[in-house]
Amino acid sequence: MVNGQGKNTIIRMFNVSKRYGKMEALSNLSLEVRKNEFIFVTGPSGAGKSTMIKLLYMGETASSGSILVDGMNLARISRKQIPMLRRKFGVVFQDFKLISTKTVFQNVALVLEVAGLKPKEIYPLVMDVLECVGIEDRSEEFPPVLSGGEKQRVAIARAMVGTPKIVLADEPTGSLDPDSAAQIFQLLRSVHERGATVIIATHDQQMINNHDGRVVRLVKGRMDCEN
Amino acid sequence: MLMLDAKRVLTDIVNNKFLHMVSVVTIALSVFIVSSFSLFFNNATDFLDAWRKGVRVITYMSDNVTEPQRTELMETIRNLGGVAGIEFISKDDAYNDLKEKIGQQSSLLDGLDKNPLPDSFEITLADSYRRLEDIEKLSQNIGGLPHVEDVEYAQKWLYRFNGVYNLFKVTGLVLVSIFFIATLLIIANTIRLIMYTRREEIEIIRIIGADEKFIKYPLFFEAVVHGFLGGVAGILMLYLAFILTVPNFAPATVFSLFEIRFISVKFSLTIVLCSMMIGWVGCFFSIRKFLKI
Ligand SMILES: Nc1ncnc2c1ncn2[C@@H]1O[C@H](COP(=O)(O)OP(=O)(O)O)[C@@H](O)[C@H]1O
Ligand SMILES: [Mg+2]
Repeated sequence: MVNGQGKNTIIRMFNVSKRYGKMEALSNLSLEVRKNEFIFVTGPSGAGKSTMIKLLYMGETASSGSILVDGMNLARISRKQIPMLRRKFGVVFQDFKLISTKTVFQNVALVLEVAGLKPKEIYPLVMDVLECVGIEDRSEEFPPVLSGGEKQRVAIARAMVGTPKIVLADEPTGSLDPDSAAQIFQLLRSVHERGATVIIATHDQQMINNHDGRVVRLVKGRMDCEN
Repeated sequence: MLMLDAKRVLTDIVNNKFLHMVSVVTIALSVFIVSSFSLFFNNATDFLDAWRKGVRVITYMSDNVTEPQRTELMETIRNLGGVAGIEFISKDDAYNDLKEKIGQQSSLLDGLDKNPLPDSFEITLADSYRRLEDIEKLSQNIGGLPHVEDVEYAQKWLYRFNGVYNLFKVTGLVLVSIFFIATLLIIANTIRLIMYTRREEIEIIRIIGADEKFIKYPLFFEAVVHGFLGGVAGILMLYLAFILTVPNFAPATVFSLFEIRFISVKFSLTIVLCSMMIGWVGCFFSIRKFLKI
């Protein structure tokens, strides 16, 4: 293992900073995440939560510092390895990011197509996760006809289907009504129970108060307190 | 993998019908124009070749030539550059020939009390000596010899036709290059538009771990399919135009020498292949700009 990364550590951020031009979105952030942890990243809007999530799956690259994910040093990997890194993650967004011209089934199946699985192998895996999030009866619908809660369930199915080691969720309940939000939260719990490391960025304090899990609080790009 | 790609491409073509149609139709038009030029050239070249091969310079002699004078003239002509063969045709031979040719109406000739045709030489030309300028020069030389009454080789309009042919050759080449570039730009632009309309989709596919190949292949596939469809459609259009217009030319005597041919199967296939290749190259250019991470 690199840089003393322990057996149980899956993510290690050390002195990570991210600048957008002159604006520093993250400053000297250090964080270690163990396997199968359930973590909330919280803080006010603009604190750098989304930026931190993006750095992990290399939606953005850090300006300085080092990030290790499951043994991969993000500063060292080549462009060609980025897809391999991203397959370690399932990512859920506030705005769902579903492809509106593909059916629910196709949206979820895409993850496995991308990974090179055959249609025969893909079908049962996709139906299984769709059942798991309770949306199997809408598998041939297109995302625009679904409600917000249903779309987010599809997104969670997509994040689960490849059985990634880590699931990232950036404000997953941000545009949902309280009932749907609770359901989505339960689903993320079950993803965690299945063995994934789950990191949720949210500014929904109530959700955090009601649930167990480590809380990482960011303010203006810096770690505020950790418990 | 290929099956999946094909399916993705088909769904995409259905989803973006208009974009794809514009691209295919534009390629079809370019192919149509380029291949009609080729059609014209192949036939014009055949035609000129056929005519050149058959060209004979006929030298008519004045009436009172003695046999030694004739033999001398024959030798002089035989030694001129470019002359491959020379044959004497006596006025009597010419008369019988004519009689045979007009057949039924030969009684018309009976009304003549004397054979009006002159003695002549029929001169065939060396292969390397069939350019119009050469023929013109040769007939001028022969015309200047003693005892020669007149020299004839072909209708003047053929000379003009040759000029037109050369002019077309140049403009044709220029046009072909312009259409080549235009088609390339159109395909590149279509692919860019497709990528633009799908930028969110591409972004999402990236996040879930697609490599560049997964994103690129369908685009190349689409561009090559455009090239193929456009190429085939363009050639079909030309064929349609061909069978609708060419029968109208057929009776003209000039064309009885040879047959107007459609472009060959091999050439059509080459055009379709080129058009597919242009698709590939066009896609390559637009992808290079768009797909850098
Ligand atoms: N692409 C970007 N370009 C410039 N500034 C950005 C960009 N993304 C985020 N920022 C800035 O970085 C800061 C942190 O943003 P973000 O990580 O989205 O915060 P949060 O998700 O906690 O609300 C904000 O001030 C935001 O304006
Ligand atoms: Mg955010």
